[in-house]
Amino acid sequence: MKLYRPATVMVGVLFVLLGGLTRLATPEQVFEEQNMVAVRGTIGESLKYGGDSTVTVTRMKFAKGVLDDSGNDDDKPIETNGVYVAIEWDTVRGIQKPSNVGAKLIADGGTVYEPIGGLTDSGIDFPEAGFAKTGAVVFEANPTDLKGLTLQLRPSMFYNVLNTYVEVDLGIPSEEVAQQLVDGAEAQYVVQNPVVRVASS
Amino acid sequence: MESLDDVIDAMIADRVIHRHRRKWLIAIALVVVLALVILATGGWKERVGRTVPTISAPATVESGKWEYNFTKAEIRVTPKSEYREAEAELRVYFDLKNIDGEELTSDSLQGKLLVFVPGGGQDYVDSNGANCRGELNWVLVYGLPPESCFTTFKVEADFRSDLVEIGVQGERYESDSGVLGADEDPYWQNERPDAVVQMKPAVVEVTEDDK
Repeated sequence: MKLYRPATVMVGVLFVLLGGLTRLATPEQVFEEQNMVAVRGTIGESLKYGGDSTVTVTRMKFAKGVLDDSGNDDDKPIETNGVYVAIEWDTVRGIQKPSNVGAKLIADGGTVYEPIGGLTDSGIDFPEAGFAKTGAVVFEANPTDLKGLTLQLRPSMFYNVLNTYVEVDLGIPSEEVAQQLVDGAEAQYVVQNPVVRVASS
Repeated sequence: MESLDDVIDAMIADRVIHRHRRKWLIAIALVVVLALVILATGGWKERVGRTVPTISAPATVESGKWEYNFTKAEIRVTPKSEYREAEAELRVYFDLKNIDGEELTSDSLQGKLLVFVPGGGQDYVDSNGANCRGELNWVLVYGLPPESCFTTFKVEADFRSDLVEIGVQGERYESDSGVLGADEDPYWQNERPDAVVQMKPAVVEVTEDDK
């Protein structure tokens, strides 16, 4: 039996070429990550997250110490060698349940800041459908790497679905602005209990 | 049609198998017994001694994405009172710095990265993570100066020792093999021993209020 007839070889070559074509067509060429689309915005902008829910960063505060609102009266504020960045947020939940939010801050220098532990009221999440929620999430940050600080909200997700993540530019274009914010940091920031209200549409 | 030769061959084979069956059974039994003996005497693996350096406190250890500066150790004893049993815990103090030059990411210390080595073939005791600024599992930021922290190991209520050994395990920034379809991006994983720190613990008696 003749194994390598020209037609057989041609079919092989065709498959190799087809494989190359499908690689060209992967979503990698369209999106930065294959299964993620970024929704970018600034402070005060209401941004879509996970279907029909929205998230808005209402305010950013710098502080040298943080304190829980629901703690004891004699609790001392938690101090830092760096600076605390408190992000106040407002979320509105739509009908579709958004997945859990993983929040982190990313600076131009490449440092990634995670929310601090030890505060029960710090965090970001969504209320029940039709409600809106206000709260704050606190990060400890290095004062020398704050330029270009962005807040990234990523869903914990299944990889076979196209997901969106939110990126909020916190408006620190230069070292000088960062230094001003650090210099103007309050002595302490009190993390309020999150408040849920009926969403007004 | 079966020939006479085939029949004779089959008969001979039958005889041979029968003749040697007992030897085979004995050989298999010997292998099983040998396996049991090896298992009972502690396994095939050769016991090697400690392969990481042993240093005494105060000492600075860089291990994985953490830099430790061990200072002191305490055995904190809560005496028996009317309503509770006596308790003891081993507390180790150190300055902790995040030196994660790969991911530059804030993180808290995992409890399994520090172990108390009781010696004498006993199992290691995992720590409960770093307690800094009065908060357990404090998140340390890359690029900030070290924080003074402590960690706690559970020990028996009558535990006393002149010299305790703390094992430091460091994670490696490695990727999984992509052969089975795993993501090939590296991350901190596969902790293995990097150093053992010897400390002289002080015995401290604590009351209920100090805890």
